[in-house]
Amino acid sequence: MSNHRSTDPTDVPITGDDLLETFPRYRDAEDVTVLELPGREAATVPPATVLRPELAASLEEALYTHQAEALEALAREENVCVATSTSSGKTRIYALQIARHVLEARARGEESTAYLLYPTKALSRDQERSLNDFFDTLDLEITVRVYDGDTEYGENRRRIREEADVIITNFAGVNTYLHDHDRWARFLSACDLLVIDESHTYTGVHGMHVAWIVRRLKRVLSYYDADPRYVLTSATIGNPGEHSEALIDEPVTVIDDDGSPTGPRELVVWNPPPRARQDGADDRDDWSQVSGRTDSTAESADDSAERVTEADADAVLERVPATVEAPRVLSHLAYHDAQTLLFTPSRKLAELSVKRAAKFRGDNRRTYVNPDRGSAIEPYHAGHSRRQRHGTEHQLKTGVLDGVASTNALELGIDVGEMDATVQLGYPGQRQSFWQQIGRAGRGAKRALSVLVAEHRTLDQYVVSHPDYLLEADVEDAVVDVENDAVFAQHVRCAADELALSEDDAGSFADRERLERAVEMWRRAGQLTGALETGVSYAGPPRPQQSISLYATAGEEYEVRLADGVDEGHDPEMEPLARERVLRDFHEGAVRLHGGQQYEVVAVDHGSPRPSVTVQPTNVDYYTRTRTDVTVLDAVSEESREIGDFTLHFGRGRVLVYHGTYDEVGIHDGTTKSRAIPTENPPLSMETQLCWLEVPKRLERGLVEKYREFSLPDLEDGLAETAHLGYAGGLHAAEHAIIGVAPLELMVDKRDLGGLATLSIDSHLDQDAGGDARDGPSGIGPDGSDDAPRNIAAAEATVREIAMDLEREPASGWFVYDGIEGGLGFARAIYDNYEAVAERARELIAGCDCGTVGGCPACVMDDQCGNDNQPLHREAAVDVLDQLLGDADETALEPYLPDEEYGGDRRPPLFYA
Amino acid sequence: MTARAGPTLLALSPSALADRPEATLRDLGATLEPDAVSVLGPSRDPQAFARARRAFDAPVVHPPLESGRGPLSTLALDTADETLGVSVAPDSRALRATPETVADELAASTPCVLVCDDVTTSVRPTALETTLEHADALASALPRDRVTTVLTGSEPAGYDELWHLASETGTVRAVDHDPFVACRSTNEDAVSVRLRGVGPVEGYGESTGVALVTLGGDGVERIETYDVTDFGLEAVSGIGPKTAARLADLGVRTRMELLETPTETLADLPGVGRGRARTLHQHARVLETGEPRRLTDESLPGENWSTPPLCLDIETDGLSPTIIWQVGVYDPATDEYRAFVERTDPSDPGSVLEAFCDWLLGIHPDRALLTWNGWRFDYRHLGAFIAKHVPYYADEWEAIPKFDLYLWAVGDDNAMLPGRTNALADVASALGYEDAGTGLDGARTAAAYQQFVRTGEALEWDRHEAYCEDDCRALWHVYERLRDGPRADSTASNTASDRSSEPSVESTDVPASGSSGRRRGPTSGDARNANERSEQTEQTGLGDF
Repeated sequence: MSNHRSTDPTDVPITGDDLLETFPRYRDAEDVTVLELPGREAATVPPATVLRPELAASLEEALYTHQAEALEALAREENVCVATSTSSGKTRIYALQIARHVLEARARGEESTAYLLYPTKALSRDQERSLNDFFDTLDLEITVRVYDGDTEYGENRRRIREEADVIITNFAGVNTYLHDHDRWARFLSACDLLVIDESHTYTGVHGMHVAWIVRRLKRVLSYYDADPRYVLTSATIGNPGEHSEALIDEPVTVIDDDGSPTGPRELVVWNPPPRARQDGADDRDDWSQVSGRTDSTAESADDSAERVTEADADAVLERVPATVEAPRVLSHLAYHDAQTLLFTPSRKLAELSVKRAAKFRGDNRRTYVNPDRGSAIEPYHAGHSRRQRHGTEHQLKTGVLDGVASTNALELGIDVGEMDATVQLGYPGQRQSFWQQIGRAGRGAKRALSVLVAEHRTLDQYVVSHPDYLLEADVEDAVVDVENDAVFAQHVRCAADELALSEDDAGSFADRERLERAVEMWRRAGQLTGALETGVSYAGPPRPQQSISLYATAGEEYEVRLADGVDEGHDPEMEPLARERVLRDFHEGAVRLHGGQQYEVVAVDHGSPRPSVTVQPTNVDYYTRTRTDVTVLDAVSEESREIGDFTLHFGRGRVLVYHGTYDEVGIHDGTTKSRAIPTENPPLSMETQLCWLEVPKRLERGLVEKYREFSLPDLEDGLAETAHLGYAGGLHAAEHAIIGVAPLELMVDKRDLGGLATLSIDSHLDQDAGGDARDGPSGIGPDGSDDAPRNIAAAEATVREIAMDLEREPASGWFVYDGIEGGLGFARAIYDNYEAVAERARELIAGCDCGTVGGCPACVMDDQCGNDNQPLHREAAVDVLDQLLGDADETALEPYLPDEEYGGDRRPPLFYA
Repeated sequence: MTARAGPTLLALSPSALADRPEATLRDLGATLEPDAVSVLGPSRDPQAFARARRAFDAPVVHPPLESGRGPLSTLALDTADETLGVSVAPDSRALRATPETVADELAASTPCVLVCDDVTTSVRPTALETTLEHADALASALPRDRVTTVLTGSEPAGYDELWHLASETGTVRAVDHDPFVACRSTNEDAVSVRLRGVGPVEGYGESTGVALVTLGGDGVERIETYDVTDFGLEAVSGIGPKTAARLADLGVRTRMELLETPTETLADLPGVGRGRARTLHQHARVLETGEPRRLTDESLPGENWSTPPLCLDIETDGLSPTIIWQVGVYDPATDEYRAFVERTDPSDPGSVLEAFCDWLLGIHPDRALLTWNGWRFDYRHLGAFIAKHVPYYADEWEAIPKFDLYLWAVGDDNAMLPGRTNALADVASALGYEDAGTGLDGARTAAAYQQFVRTGEALEWDRHEAYCEDDCRALWHVYERLRDGPRADSTASNTASDRSSEPSVESTDVPASGSSGRRRGPTSGDARNANERSEQTEQTGLGDF
């Protein structure tokens, strides 16, 4: 398969050290770290020890130990989650289990079917082929067919339902097909195995919908007397067992002792060189991949502009973007005969990277004397036709291509053989994704090389300063929350439509009390009829399944459309957006960078049934930044625990978010060109999950004194000189950092989190806790969406009012909330893992080399900050986190404590998002 | 129309009135003969109000514009026999203003019916709670110890729940479901509101917008829904708003005028053509005369068999059934009706099915079955239940020839039917079938059975069996009328193929989804599903389609 035949592990085209030596131009040694990872021998067992003789005999290779272990567990009727490395033969496990079932069933004169669920259509087609091939080699007549939105309608579909042994689809499909389960009676009755491939991809909003679709599917399967086993395959995540059990609501045996072989690996963490030019102000997570918007501006940043003097190097505010640097590394490795895969965050960047790789060669003729050498580099992404992608996959496998720049389309499962090297354009955001990608490099026992080219942003720079983070055994936990009632309620309607809800569902589909409340809610709304004891049917508008949006909690999912008359080639091909995201980032007039292309939002249609956002490509010298008012109201603590003198709470409450205005900010100099342009947005009111930390009084007093000299002369609100400003800046910075690093511990998207630092936590709590909390003190009615428009300012005023009226001195601290109606379980997961997250946050802030009090985008600045990243105080934040983590002596602040017990100024009711 | 007991109020949503030709509204008025008309709030729409006043002879009210002397105005419904009044509030604020006056007025009125269009429910999924908006206003102003029916345009027709509110605060004490089975106020402190929707029913991107409320007893006897496109020219299959507008330009505003217009003239209209012009005439004639018309030479399903098919109908306990508790079969050959009913043990779905299968396979092994839209309901659920509960009959059941008259006539375009909708009761009634007047429909009989299961109190079995029998016999009535009706004449013998070969004109112009059960293919969402044929119709109510 490989075009490199040597078996000597050291005989590789280029090593990490070679790369450093040969790569043109100046490098600061501190900017690059090379890590060594040892290899692992294969651990195998003969197939006959696990499989029945006829299967074992037709299998050519031995089984890896984890494959054998999984098959043994399945033979014991257990469900398994296989969480092993890329290319460790996970598919083979369920393929063999299907073969077992089919052989057993046919011996009894019966049928056995399997339902396979993949996250992408491309993967479905790829696996259909390889499974059919595999069953051919086993000489088994097992029909594997894909059945999804691309499957031809009519007779063809009927045949698949009535004849296929194995059906491959996705969860959006299952959600729809459950409505007509009677047509699937043959297939479902015989179902012995349900496979959820790449199960780690199901987290957050999407994950909870999937968890409920699985529960609905289970009801229907059980109606047909089917009781299948489950196989989940997952990338290595921190909690494969817990995550799998949350998805399928069944006990699961975790198989994670990887028996597949891997060669040693060199891991190069590559921070691009600093540069002096001030044109990178737009460094806002994934919208900011290209700071120079066009090729010419990006490339003109080369050479002279890239170099900074030694004196500047202490305070690095900007570096060459990874979007420019990573294609260079790709080009360099390919030149040195290493077949290389570059991972890019977008389709556009995959295309652009190929061009940049070629240009880099041309611009450096002295280094690359033979520019055609190793220059067969192609892009790869889901925007290409299937045929084109297969061509590229084949050319990779056969060694015709020297390199490919790909989106994460090649991260999941698709077989392209093994590379010599991988390059990552930016840290992919999650360790599991990081490992999945670099797993593509490594030919058998030979050395593999992987280069991570860092962006200048929070997570990447954390990894640069703490490269050992990548090697830690723990990977992120995947979070799936089935507690969100907004999502639950939607699936209750669907379940009743599919089969009457009855007593049998109490305790299995959902616990009785919750199910009864949901049924009663929908009955009062006229959408369900009947009672659990006799059967509850759906009576609302036809096909409730169609109202499920797999990416939103409240059923409101916005489609992103291209404006009329724009060439379809510019289609950003974005996944649908939840309403919360639309209000923040996609108001009319917003300029967003997606896949290296600027888009302006030209229209937003909030109307049902099909809300949408219309964008058109643009080319302007500014980006937009939304100004946000956030406040938390009526928070009720459901659980709390002490961390030292601190108290941490988890609970529910209402978050009011108003993205009322936006600024246009110059890309090159970061100056505000236009200020406070109205977004015309309605405000957003969410009932959601929150966690909050109360800072002990004593610490607060010490820190207020320690930083009382801090002032921000241009701060609005007349609070520029207030004594609490430094301390408030510390809370604010700590809150940003906690949210910023949460993805290091948990599989969360930080855009789904929000925060609020406050000097008066108490005024955000339900003042009437224990009583009926429906009507908050602000007079905001139960249906916040209607009343909120008039009340956002009133709500903030109320919070201030409560603050003034509080009988006891309020605690200060910060909230972290799930920015999605009903919550996502992220705030809950942060509550459970607070110390670990806080530790990371502290390391991030203390380790940042920006050298400024107010921080930089790589540490405590946050592009989502509603307060324009002011006030922020890094040092004060570190002090708070040190005390929280017990790293600093309690007496450290003694010198600052005022003499009298209640000294100091009256606290202003400040709060910052 | 079916005979009705009491006076009627026609509730029209402003959207149904907008841009609607006056002739259509006149046809609506002439067909339904309402005693009064309400143009629904809560939004003010003076234009819609004006249109309605021009089009209808009966008194017309638009609640948001009502501001008389008191908080309430009274809409008088004059019939030949009696005059009844319905109270109308412009909105719930009017109730709050002088609650005592309102309470007195309502307490004195019979029936006790109030139109108040801003009363509505709202769902708060994060709290798993449905709230009743303006419950406090209702609690303060409605009479106690008595059930007041509140009609609201903010809930879809079909919404029917009984809310019991604490009279002081409006706090919800309890909500009784299925008030059509039992409807009582709870106690003296409570205000009991039977909230009934008269607003548009959401279908596949379409909504009905016409609700006919029949008063009776102390409240509302029944509410029937229609689509405004079931009336006027648009009732003719193939005429949508665009064609209707073009016809209006020619001075053609009614179906009679359409019939008086030569097909040659119609054929010249953009996108109509000769074949289609002929179809327009045929359907208009069917609607005007009430005579069905066969469009093809295709024989009726089972027409050539030596014995006619058995007419089948089932009753369940809901749209997602847990039991098929009644199977009714009418045998046209002997004019005998047979019912299989589970009266004793509702926990056992098998025995009715077993008895039915014993009888069917034992006595009539070689007969075919006939239903009305059975592939979406009767056959579908019988198949699933037989496979599950009497699996030994599953193969035999599969082998029985099954016909569906609705599919043959409407789905396969073999016939045109009179009737405002394609629901069996409407079609049969238009064809002169006189039903037994049980006052039941699928939802009621299902709810009643659920009540029996819960309480063990016996149903009025005879009434519920008569309802099922009615449907079986109505089906045969329609079959006979079609069988004996005029066949496709020689000049139109290839109408069907003509039609299918024509470009599909005004593809969005097919009659919009009908009322109470008639649904066309999905027009939103995964529209491709519509390509699967049996998904082109969707059972959304328990009534036979």
